[in-house]
Amino acid sequence: MRTRDLVKEELVRQKTVELVVEEGLDNFSVNKLAKTCGISVATLYIYYKDKDDLIVKVAIEEAKKSSARMVKGLDPELSFAEGLKKQWKNRIKEMKDFPEVVNFFEQVRASKYQEKVFPVFEDALRDKLGKFWTNAIKRGELAEMPVEVYWSIAFAPLYNLIRFHREGRSLANKPFKMTEAVLWQTFDLAVKALKK
Amino acid sequence: MDRQSADLVMVFKTNIRTEGDVHCVSGMLNAQQHITEWSVDTEDVDCVLRVLSCKVQCHDVIKLVGLHGYECTELEY
Repeated sequence: MRTRDLVKEELVRQKTVELVVEEGLDNFSVNKLAKTCGISVATLYIYYKDKDDLIVKVAIEEAKKSSARMVKGLDPELSFAEGLKKQWKNRIKEMKDFPEVVNFFEQVRASKYQEKVFPVFEDALRDKLGKFWTNAIKRGELAEMPVEVYWSIAFAPLYNLIRFHREGRSLANKPFKMTEAVLWQTFDLAVKALKK
Repeated sequence: MDRQSADLVMVFKTNIRTEGDVHCVSGMLNAQQHITEWSVDTEDVDCVLRVLSCKVQCHDVIKLVGLHGYECTELEY
């Protein structure tokens, strides 16, 4: 009986993310992954049925870790502004510390694997974010609104700044670098828009 | 059939390359009552056939697949 090798499993996950980011989901194969990891093809097929099974399983594990980092330190009892700030900070940290994972999920989101992987994020985030949201409404800090409206004001501005920053340009090709001042000015305006 | 804990995973390199090829071998593999589960990764260069069973041996699988005109060799761990 072959025993599970946790170090190898972690290596497999890490290299899967790297290969998908470098070569795209279409060009990824179990054979290439085996070579990159320095393990035999047969060993990978003990744990995974095929390419689809491998990508889905790796993505689900990464989604669990990533969502845990996104709500780390978020106390549902925090005031609305403090709690949202914590989430912005966590999301920025995720982009800085795990750019490949973020990139990997961008590819998964646009693929056939999306429907199997993204519910994992929703399940993992629902409890804490739901409580935080309900508490803010109960305390009268936040108006009730559809979740899409909330997300569009609460997080979309952050992701737009990140996009400008990554591209190094904003509107009309103007050079752009995100500064703390710009970041928190945007944040303050988002909070102002959402608060009752 | 559910996966049994006593099942062994056997992995083979084949030339079962297309969905049509998979269809050709599926009847015979499905008919084996001691094969718990099987699949072919047609997206991989080795067209890996993966078989789970507690009774069927590697040489049985190679023979069965060979009878249908496909190459099948065991992949070493």
